[in-house]
Amino acid sequence: MDRARLSFVGGTITISALPSEAWQAVLATANPTWDSRINAWRCDAIDYMTLRRRLHAEGCIVEDTVPHWQTVTWPSVQLPRMRPEQVQAISAWEELRRGVVVMPTGTGKTEVALAIMRRQAISTLIVAPVRDLMYQWHRRIRESLGYDAGIIGDNIFRVLPVAVTTYDSACIHMDKLGANFGLIVFDECHHLPGPMRRDAARMSAAPCRLGLTATPERSDGLHADLDALIGPRVYELPLADVRGRTLANYEVIRIPVHLSQEEQAFYDRLSAQVRAFVCRRRKLEPVFSWDALCGQAANDPEARQVLRAYWKKKSIEDRAQEKLRVLEDIFRLHAGCPCLIFAGSNAMARDVSRRFLIPCLLNHCGKKERHEVLTGLAEGRYPALVANQVLDEGVDLPEVKVAVVIGGTGSIKQAKQRLGRILRRAGNAAATLYEVVCADTNEERRSRSRRGSDAYQGTRHRQLG
Amino acid sequence: MLTRELAIASLDKGQVVPDRLTRIKHARYPEYAERMLALYRKGVGKTRQELHRGVHDIFRDEPECPLRRIAAFAKLLDDVSVFDRAGFGQAADLRCQVFRRAAVCHPLVLEPDRQFDHAEAEVKAQIAREMGQSWEEIDRQLFADVMEFHCLQEFTGYPNPQALLARYNVAQVQAALFDGVSLTVWAEQDFKVILRYAKLARLMHTIQRAESGYVFHFDGPASVLRQTRRYGVAMAQFLPALLACQAWRMHALVRVRGRWNASLDLSAADGLTSHLPVPEEFDSQVEEDFAHQWGTDSRSGWNLIREGEVLHAGQKVFVPDFVFRHEDGRKVLLEIVGFWTPEYLEAKLKTLRTFAGQNILVAVAAGNEKRGDGFAPDAIRFKKRLRIKDVLQRLESKP
Repeated sequence: MDRARLSFVGGTITISALPSEAWQAVLATANPTWDSRINAWRCDAIDYMTLRRRLHAEGCIVEDTVPHWQTVTWPSVQLPRMRPEQVQAISAWEELRRGVVVMPTGTGKTEVALAIMRRQAISTLIVAPVRDLMYQWHRRIRESLGYDAGIIGDNIFRVLPVAVTTYDSACIHMDKLGANFGLIVFDECHHLPGPMRRDAARMSAAPCRLGLTATPERSDGLHADLDALIGPRVYELPLADVRGRTLANYEVIRIPVHLSQEEQAFYDRLSAQVRAFVCRRRKLEPVFSWDALCGQAANDPEARQVLRAYWKKKSIEDRAQEKLRVLEDIFRLHAGCPCLIFAGSNAMARDVSRRFLIPCLLNHCGKKERHEVLTGLAEGRYPALVANQVLDEGVDLPEVKVAVVIGGTGSIKQAKQRLGRILRRAGNAAATLYEVVCADTNEERRSRSRRGSDAYQGTRHRQLG
Repeated sequence: MLTRELAIASLDKGQVVPDRLTRIKHARYPEYAERMLALYRKGVGKTRQELHRGVHDIFRDEPECPLRRIAAFAKLLDDVSVFDRAGFGQAADLRCQVFRRAAVCHPLVLEPDRQFDHAEAEVKAQIAREMGQSWEEIDRQLFADVMEFHCLQEFTGYPNPQALLARYNVAQVQAALFDGVSLTVWAEQDFKVILRYAKLARLMHTIQRAESGYVFHFDGPASVLRQTRRYGVAMAQFLPALLACQAWRMHALVRVRGRWNASLDLSAADGLTSHLPVPEEFDSQVEEDFAHQWGTDSRSGWNLIREGEVLHAGQKVFVPDFVFRHEDGRKVLLEIVGFWTPEYLEAKLKTLRTFAGQNILVAVAAGNEKRGDGFAPDAIRFKKRLRIKDVLQRLESKP
């Protein structure tokens, strides 16, 4: 009898010499496609296990060259004792060894993943949303399992049996690496179902898959695809269950600031410029819209100026001097208590850093500096830290009780994640989130949209001044 | 290459039309290009932010220019620039030092009082004294590693304004191809170059004979499973090689807003200029001499055609140097093997074995056989030049 040969090629599985008596059955399950370019059948790497099982059930002898994963021994394991909900999550996942675990930020998702890695002891790839998180996983794996993991991303390509990467790198390189890992962990897995990014799951042959997230829902509805890409939702711990128990209580305080006289004058002048232009255009075309303005900027220097005026307005809101004064008040109020500041732009983050001489974590920071800054804050060497969006998700910052949002977009998910940052489990002291927004500007509108999030519901809102 | 964010293209009856500068519609652009090149040539020591502002200023009064086009020019200029990377680690060290010194004084306040007595200005002056620099100097260096503040070190540049404008036009077609789902090329010549560069870009091919020449269909492994943009970047990388060739046309399917497909059609007649040189007509002097010696007429009924046949088996291809066609319909291929490294000869032998079923005549440079090159005994051996007489004699003995 012929041996069916399975190979991993460019993120797909090719099947050659498939015995005729088996292929009907195989066609029905794994749905391979005939590829005349290579004279073989082909299917997505993600279908590898289904295919393998089907061939086995048909009694086919298979020459399987796909798996390049191996058994891993952990040099030194140092994991904390799991809490009951973590134990539940682990055993729920182990029933299928595929699936998504939903747990709020700060409830020990990372530990769940590390415990699963330890028990599976197989080549593992961790996929994280951003570089910071990738490095954080690298550190956690070294601390908890004693393994110096490989890094794929940030201009590094060090492939080891256990490695960390980002979604973007995973998507680019999975057609080469898809057979190297038996377990693939998608951290903040709501990022996975994007039209291109899903290749990170589709082009991997890993039989074991774990997704971790606090916020599985996506506004485009694509989270439904996580079932196919990772596995079913095997465990879910709602936010309300843990508040006040493992997470700190929190309070949201909104502080409106006003533009300085000069800023306001400039702001008003820019507003008038934009308004006048739009009014004039509306006389010609009653439905003149923002899109039309962007379009006209192509062949009208005035429209281009107006577009610039609009961006300048945003920049004035974002970098209002008054925000720095309010920040000083907050620092005074919480002296001796580590603070996290989220800025709306890199420029504002640098303004804050220069004014108060506190570290800022931006995209250009190298691995060494990130580590120095983050551990420095944790160990009390630095009093505060300012960042833009790089700290949005999952970056571990122990015991931060005060966070200040001084800008940012109005997305609900961002608010939830930013709030998650200060909900660290430690002591009884209540956490406080300040939101500093410019009054009488578009920023106020964005703040209102932010507070529409269910993450804020049930929190107390206060206004100062 | 540009990034996706800098792509400008419009849709016209299902056709993707990438932004293109033309001599008539964009008569002022050569002057802008000249000024941009001058800005960068004289810009050594300036920050990226200053240079980009300068580029924007050049277009200040131009009525016909989207912001993206300006940003695209800045990107193309940056692509051929070297920015100073020396100070990168230094800025991080400086930050670390400054922030550590300041940490004990946190918070730096504007108006000190009994509880918080660290005035911002005083702390900064103190740190500056301790570090033996002025505060202005420290402040300037503090974020010198941020992308916008990188300083231009060297501009290798484009030779002239036309080259920059030509590069822009090609770059916009490439950017449109980033969303390419499949690419079909009809070619009458230069098959070797086309296939070599497609392979370099890691594209897979399907090859069909056309009325004159060949049709090449390029995509990637997963393309057979679904329409995917995954190989669009590879298609964009391949494009300049195709543009350098002659007598071709191409048709790409491009995904638009992730939902439907549009066409991108292009041909040698469109006049896009590649930065790559036009392919050499011949791979070697021996080939060139042989072709010239043979001339354009038939000899003993045999006609000579250069690179006329593409042999392919799965994803392996072989384009022999010449094809001989006899008036009675016989066809013999000729491959000329120069004096080369053992690895090259080994690869050549492997290729010849793959296509052993074909009627291929091999001419091998003398000297190789001393190293035991393993070519068949019926191979033609030649010294400096391949003689027509030897080839004709062997052609007649082929079936």
